Amino acid sequence: MIVTRRMLPRRTFLRGTGATLALPLLDAMIPALTAQSRTAARPVPRLGFIYTPNGVIQAQWTPVDDGRQFTFSPILKPLEPLRDRVLIVSGLAHRQAESFGDGNADHHRATAAWLSGVHAWTRTTGLEIRLDTTADQIAAAAIGRDTRLPSLELALESATSIACDSGADCFYSNTVSWRTPTNPLPAEIHPRVVFERLFGDGGTPAQRRAQMQRSASLLDSLTDEVARLTRRVGTGDRAKIDEYLESVRSLEVRITRTDAESAIASVELPDRPSDMPATIDEHARSMFDLITLAFRADLTRVFTLLVGREQTNRTYPEIGVPDGHHAVSHHQHDPQIVSKKAKIDTYHASLLGRFLRQLADTADGDGSLLDRSMILYGSGLGDGDQHSHHDLPVLVAGGGAGRSVGGQHLRLRETPMTNLLVTLLNRAGVPLEKLGDSTGPLSIEPLASI
Amino acid sequence: MTTRPARAKRPARGARASAFAVLLLATVFAGREASAQSSTTSRTVSGTPPRALFDRYCVTCHNQRAKIPAARPLALDTADLATVASDPDLWENVVRKLRAGTMPPAGAARPPGDEADAAATWLERELDRSADARPDPGHVPAFRRLTRTEYRHAVRDLLALDDLPKELDIELLLPADNTVGFDTIADALFVTPTLLEGYLTAARKLAAIAVGDASMPLIVDTYRTALEQPQDEQFADLPVGTRGGMRIRRWFPLTGEYRLRVELAGPLRERHELEVAVDGERVQLVPVGGPAGQPRASASGGEGDGLEITVPVQAGQRTVGVSFVKRTSAYAETLTVPFRRGRGLDPAVSAVTISGPFGTRSAGDTSSRRRVLRCGATASASSRSAGATSASSRTVGSADCARQIVRLLAKRAFRRAATIEDVHTLMPFFEAGRRGGTFDAGIQRVIERVLVSPEFLFRVEGGSKRRDGAAAAPVSDVELASRLSFFLWSSIPDDELLDVAIEGRLRAPGVFEAQVRRMLADRRSDALVTNFAAQWLYLWDLPARRPNDRLFPDFDDGLRQAMVRETELFLGSVLRENRSVVDLVSSRDTFLNERLARHYGIPGIYGSDFRRITLPDGSVRGGLLGQGSILTLTSYATRTSPVVRGKWILENILGSPPPPPPPNVPALKTDDNPKQTRSMRERMTQHRANPVCASCHARMDPLGFALENFDAIGRWRAQGDGGTAIDASGTLPDGTAFKDPLSLRAALVQRPERFVTTFTEKLLNYAIGRNLIAADSAAVRAIVREAFRDGYRFEKLVLGIVASRPFQLRRSES
Repeated sequence: MIVTRRMLPRRTFLRGTGATLALPLLDAMIPALTAQSRTAARPVPRLGFIYTPNGVIQAQWTPVDDGRQFTFSPILKPLEPLRDRVLIVSGLAHRQAESFGDGNADHHRATAAWLSGVHAWTRTTGLEIRLDTTADQIAAAAIGRDTRLPSLELALESATSIACDSGADCFYSNTVSWRTPTNPLPAEIHPRVVFERLFGDGGTPAQRRAQMQRSASLLDSLTDEVARLTRRVGTGDRAKIDEYLESVRSLEVRITRTDAESAIASVELPDRPSDMPATIDEHARSMFDLITLAFRADLTRVFTLLVGREQTNRTYPEIGVPDGHHAVSHHQHDPQIVSKKAKIDTYHASLLGRFLRQLADTADGDGSLLDRSMILYGSGLGDGDQHSHHDLPVLVAGGGAGRSVGGQHLRLRETPMTNLLVTLLNRAGVPLEKLGDSTGPLSIEPLASI
Repeated sequence: MTTRPARAKRPARGARASAFAVLLLATVFAGREASAQSSTTSRTVSGTPPRALFDRYCVTCHNQRAKIPAARPLALDTADLATVASDPDLWENVVRKLRAGTMPPAGAARPPGDEADAAATWLERELDRSADARPDPGHVPAFRRLTRTEYRHAVRDLLALDDLPKELDIELLLPADNTVGFDTIADALFVTPTLLEGYLTAARKLAAIAVGDASMPLIVDTYRTALEQPQDEQFADLPVGTRGGMRIRRWFPLTGEYRLRVELAGPLRERHELEVAVDGERVQLVPVGGPAGQPRASASGGEGDGLEITVPVQAGQRTVGVSFVKRTSAYAETLTVPFRRGRGLDPAVSAVTISGPFGTRSAGDTSSRRRVLRCGATASASSRSAGATSASSRTVGSADCARQIVRLLAKRAFRRAATIEDVHTLMPFFEAGRRGGTFDAGIQRVIERVLVSPEFLFRVEGGSKRRDGAAAAPVSDVELASRLSFFLWSSIPDDELLDVAIEGRLRAPGVFEAQVRRMLADRRSDALVTNFAAQWLYLWDLPARRPNDRLFPDFDDGLRQAMVRETELFLGSVLRENRSVVDLVSSRDTFLNERLARHYGIPGIYGSDFRRITLPDGSVRGGLLGQGSILTLTSYATRTSPVVRGKWILENILGSPPPPPPPNVPALKTDDNPKQTRSMRERMTQHRANPVCASCHARMDPLGFALENFDAIGRWRAQGDGGTAIDASGTLPDGTAFKDPLSLRAALVQRPERFVTTFTEKLLNYAIGRNLIAADSAAVRAIVREAFRDGYRFEKLVLGIVASRPFQLRRSES
């Protein structure tokens, strides 16, 4: 798709006129790819990436038979009603998550490699923190460029609930989204904060506009201050202040999304969530509600969600597993413990199923939101007990604008997971030839573009 | 530093700085020489390289042809002892192994203790000499952003705002930081668009609440009591004569009417009375339950009816207490009914929702309005420099007054002298706000702008540059002031510290130490407990721990909170009373309330208040290793883990953490006969069967086994899981034997410098915000030696850290 109506950055515009506060709505400032320019004939694609931690019980995840006549495995049973929309891909691997003699941070590397295909080196003295821009952020830069939020990064668990060995690079498991090779994006856990980022914190449209103008004038003056500051300090060591400056610029562009108001008006807003949900079930429901709303109003087109962080020891008393998740993932083939881990895996799959049904039930143009979405679900660990990064649990669910994408179990021979990511992005209209250790796109006929 | 002679005239900045560097280093040297002489641990300090010792005990394994898997091959047969200084990474590692007694490993031929010590001492001298010759304070970024905790404290101190409503909870407004051991590690403090968005939102909300913007939106906050916190007894912070309920300390944004909605849980067959108090004063007594149609709780124990009352509240920090009037203390059904997790047998408060302000709203008179809206001398009473302008010459509400406020805000927020540029940047925001409203609205806009400024959000260093090409230079006085305040308070400097630094007197004789002592005595240094120690000991992870409720039915939230409280009070007493940090391992006292004392099996302690207890002889509870918090944190939900506990001791007490397991370790074989219950020690024998595993587990596991008498929530037990026998005996890596937790503790502090070194490394790591490098070891040794003469007291360690090279200097830009 060629977008010809490029936006005129507000700063450029303001500089030109010498104005400081006024924000007249000029036609040139309306992004080309907006809700207003959307029609049923040109649906916008949406992408979601959902991560489940500590691997899975592979024997209960992988369907025993291949192809279109496959039988749903015990863990994936909750997705059976959506059979035609689900593509299960076996045999994918993240070789870059392996140790290479670099310690035993398999959990952290699994998260880091998941959407990047890059090895997260254990940071020793002098080695900077570096990964690569992840698939979701490549997509966000392309298809999310003109939405209010290029992407949403979410999690159902806070970072502090994981004891992080001192010195270990636990931050690698705090997010699957890296905006640049050196800039990991934090994942938000509180539904209220997500709600406010999408829809503001109440008030009338006029109040929101006034707020936006104030934010714009604040941001405007920050750029100059950074310039003065770096002149004064005169240092070559600018990495962190550059992150700040880039953030200022990115928000400046975003804040001028003048169509956001009409987008918000196009959906019926629920009450602003107030409390932190008490259970993972409520938490997931709340987050999926917000994603669905954001997709509908076209406020974002890309999200990532961590169902839990690697090495989490969350307990699941509500489904009869009062033990810690990480503890049961190292089951050592004790049948009782294996069944507990499988219960957790199945429960997580049921949360996905609920979300997919929600997308299927939400209209978008002449189809449903699920028709225009591709949701990748899986983990960077295959067998959690062995910390293996082979035969990863992977499935893609979604639409294909009316065409079938799913309904089969595809069994591949040891293939880089990044090949699937390249394919996924291509089908969503994002040009990408290589990601991490990818060797080329997958040829998946049923995975039609959306 | 205290030995520095007074100068008649203040020399130019550069000259002063380098003079200081020389003095600083001279002080460090002097301390080192003196303490080396006074060192009592090594009888024979050999003047010759310990070649013979390495040849005899080490090179059999550590040679060029060795096949022992290690991250880094160590060829001690060819390593040249004449050039120790050229490879500090390697030799610091050798020193560490010798000092910890982990090498040569148990079972191999080992040198006599004093020979190993002499070798270590020789190496240390070489390494120290080279570190002194080429001071390397390590690299920290020139711009490092505040952590979320630092931001919260900075807002508290800048705007005099505390206990914010949940709506403004910084923990919600800003995303969590990454923790790499400590959240202060600068390299892991990223700035993202998401974070900046959070800063913008926070600035808007905080500025509105700071000035009391009457047009702010309604705030609705729900506070829930813990599901597993019985409410049958009085809570420590609620009135005597009441039981249960909750206490909410919270900032009320405006003077006005607030609605309190109280939700109840539990049986309400009988009539109870609920007391609502604001700042300790009863505002309502509400009858609940009974037959008369009063609000009833749900019979199922779930969320029940609510009752709502409206109360006028003055703006500012208030305490709302909601509790039941206690009917009789003879009612003791709790003693006869088996303990179950829950809110207790009596009706309980499950949640309180505060919404408002309603009705006529006004800004009121709050600490924050007094702090940010006043111009004139009173705005900075403690400040030496701000008295120049008398209040009478500035009319409150004038542009002059605003300019004065702006300068003060800029100075405090940016932690340096305010500049004319600050005024030029900020005044347009005042004017824009004032045009649309009032003086207060103008200041509100200024606060908004200040709170998103890079100079507030970042600690900026490197303004002073060296011209003589030295690799390191002292940071400026104002930079040092910030280093101090963020280390000791996790917050911005106060006016006194800042003024001293701005005037260039921070490093004047006596001033520096006096400021550090003053800061340690200030309540804000609680951050060393709530921030440093909580991260070091993972205390902040305890709320997320869920011990299996079938196995540990009496682990409830009251117990969890008591465990955290004990450790906090204990750490606080080491800090406040300037005790020896060795007490952290082997104290004779601790802090208990009834709940925790019962858990520990210590009789005679009643009530929910914590008090200091001198432990009886032979008590296993003295020191961190006897505390429920640490014992629970080092266990799984269903059982203890000797491996985790052993690793914890190696890492946090002995300072010799085991390397990570090698890749592709096969899983332990499944139990052949699961029906036969085996002891933890028996189950762990597989760790020793495989030589690859044994190299580390032989060091970790015995330390953990010594604590097996403490179950997974820290209760004392005579037998292990399934009634198996417990054998708590073992040896330290250096061969010191112990037979139980008490003798383990004695063995751990037999050479107290090991723990003191470990503690100093952790504190330094936190203080300077980067991982330690080999060059830091020399600084740590100097600090520990100095502190030895003072009995390893806490304050001496802190003084050592803030005077050390990594804290005082900054690597010059190349």
